[in-house]
Amino acid sequence: MYIFASAMQYLALAASIAAGGAALTALLRGDGRLLRFVEKGHWVTSVALVLASSLLLHALYWNDFRLVYVAGHTDTLLPAFYRLTAFWAGQPGSLLFWALAVSVAGTLFAGTPSYASLKPLTRLWYWVVFFAITAFFALLLTTWSDPFVMQDPAPRDGSGLNPLLQHPGMIFHPPLLFLGYAGFVIPCCLALAQCLAPDPEERPWHEISRPIAILAWIMLTAGIVLGAWWAYMELGWGGYWAWDPVENASLIPWLFGTASLHTMAIARRKGKLARANVLAMAMTTISAFFATYLVRSGVVQSVHAFGDSTVGTPLTVFILLAILICAWACASAKPSGEPLAGLASREGFLTLLAWLLLAMALIILAATMWPVLSKLWTDGAKGLDAGFYNRVCLPLAALVMLFMAACPCLSWTGGLLRRERLWYALGAMALTLGACFAFGLRQPVAMFGAAGAVAALVTVGLSIARDRAWRGPLAALGAHAGMALLAIGVAFSGTCGIEKDLILSKDESGTVGDYTFTLKSVEDGGRPGHHFLAGTLLVEQDGRTLGTLTPERRIYDKFGTMQFSEVDILPSLGTEIYASLLGMDDDKRLLVQVSTKPLVNWLWIGGTLMCLVPLAALLRRRKPAPAADDDA
Amino acid sequence: MPMPAKKNTPVYLAAFLLLLAGVGYLAYAGFAENSVYFLNVAEAKAVPTQQLHAARLFGTVAGEGIRTHAPGPGVSFSLQDKDDASQTIEVNYAGAVPDTFKPGAEVIVEGGMVGDGRFDAKILMTKCPSKYQKQNRAS
Repeated sequence: MYIFASAMQYLALAASIAAGGAALTALLRGDGRLLRFVEKGHWVTSVALVLASSLLLHALYWNDFRLVYVAGHTDTLLPAFYRLTAFWAGQPGSLLFWALAVSVAGTLFAGTPSYASLKPLTRLWYWVVFFAITAFFALLLTTWSDPFVMQDPAPRDGSGLNPLLQHPGMIFHPPLLFLGYAGFVIPCCLALAQCLAPDPEERPWHEISRPIAILAWIMLTAGIVLGAWWAYMELGWGGYWAWDPVENASLIPWLFGTASLHTMAIARRKGKLARANVLAMAMTTISAFFATYLVRSGVVQSVHAFGDSTVGTPLTVFILLAILICAWACASAKPSGEPLAGLASREGFLTLLAWLLLAMALIILAATMWPVLSKLWTDGAKGLDAGFYNRVCLPLAALVMLFMAACPCLSWTGGLLRRERLWYALGAMALTLGACFAFGLRQPVAMFGAAGAVAALVTVGLSIARDRAWRGPLAALGAHAGMALLAIGVAFSGTCGIEKDLILSKDESGTVGDYTFTLKSVEDGGRPGHHFLAGTLLVEQDGRTLGTLTPERRIYDKFGTMQFSEVDILPSLGTEIYASLLGMDDDKRLLVQVSTKPLVNWLWIGGTLMCLVPLAALLRRRKPAPAADDDA
Repeated sequence: MPMPAKKNTPVYLAAFLLLLAGVGYLAYAGFAENSVYFLNVAEAKAVPTQQLHAARLFGTVAGEGIRTHAPGPGVSFSLQDKDDASQTIEVNYAGAVPDTFKPGAEVIVEGGMVGDGRFDAKILMTKCPSKYQKQNRAS
């Protein structure tokens, strides 16, 4: 059965090479008759990859430990849901998932009226690029990273899935990232195709593929936010972002993708920045491949145990080739010829914003690769700690917030769109700066970031309330409001929280800021599958009881002596209280790490808004595009 | 419309240079102050101690010699090189010990060497027990 699955992967490879080769031949010979054959190729790759994926899911569901992949990522005790989601748990499975997503996205796009409107020459170039990508994935799956490798004899049970990873955040985080990466492939292929076969009568790629790019961006955003939420809720260290290379790997494509969506807005409205637009989209897609390289190659040491794998070298070659082809395509693109409006216009500010996002992406890229780059001129590898990223990226992020607040105040052609809107925004900023100071926030970057975010919320609110802008750019408004809330959450929770380790005997109290924590009870017991130690803490503020926290430490039967922390929180839209149990000392006192997290939940609310509102906007019925000088 | 292009280009160029200078300054200051050695244990042993006042070391927790601080939190342990177990550095860490810390775990410590050849860690991270595991087959 699994020979058939492997054969399907080979079929996907053969179909990609044949269809891509036919498209290239048709272009070289100027023979359009081959297009009909080329356009069948995606069906073969999609069907082959769907069949291969179904067989892997079948093996995971039925615990078929003859497959090395199944034995390595599941066991007989794992619930069916987690067994099935182990599809993207390891490298070969996740590469199959990514290949499947790219191929199916191609098939879905080929069935749209937008695709039908493309000229034959554009279609041929589109398929050349598309099949080059699917062929590369299929090559990885058939050679260096095959999920259908078998073992004999099969073990009686698998290695299981780490309890820390049995969490909804971690289950959906990887596939959303992969769907985001795959989604950007379609606009990229189309952009390169139109560069190589320019036709002024054709609808531009950024118009055709805008919904796909937005959907990909939503997926990527959701994946990143879910990953951060998982780290916060499950790892017990109280943080959500550590600037680890693997975290940075997903942020880099997000920054490129966000910059790309903003240059696309200028192109859509004004038909400008044609080359920059293609370049930004190409960089987004290449950086998605680079993210995989960073995660899989082991080139940079990471907290995540991804380790050295065999796909590093092929990915390097593929990325270098992709950079060369994209540079050639961008260079051969026809410049739009339209000059940008003055700097103090919406398109001027959007351009500056795109620069800022690109600068952040490039800095994070360089900093992440610094241990490799620095070896070129120093004896030992030098890396950059989290302080570097905070020092460089946070001021730029605060500046992004200020641009986000200012943009809706400006008209596309230049000057103020609504004068009073600017005053409202400036007033909101001044009030927020005052409020930050009053509440003890003293860090200028966080203060200006928060002030910019509140001002952005005000300008978005005014756009909705006064101009009924929600009828038009709902996706942008929702994403910006969400981003502003997320920024407020980061500014406060990252700088105003207090963290303290308390050692408490029963009925003993300790204080953290204004809060008093009293250990009321200690419980030591067992539940199916694990043993636990739990402490119940009464939380009070100024004599008022806020609630109880019961953090636990667990030892799972299947994971030896390894201990796992189960944090507990007192959720609040204001200051959330977070507790994790670190252990018990020889005098039977509990060691508890307690921290306050001001406004942290706005981070998750903002992240959710960033995804759900643009999604709703995509799903609602199309309305005619608003006039050029409105509040997009 | 070529005229406005001529008018606007210097403004955009100036804005770009300003941004470049700002970002460049931030990055330069960061590179100067936040750059630390990233070394495996064997590599760290080859570097003079005084140069390792700020470093991030990668290695494996040795099977013996783990001492939990009492009263906690904290732990002292031997950090072994991943490839050469004979190369070790004694690490002292006074913070909360991660869940997944155990003998044989791959860990990352960030801090600096102190006079007696011990590494004083300010941060102790165990490698995330990610589902993305190493290749467990010969290929």
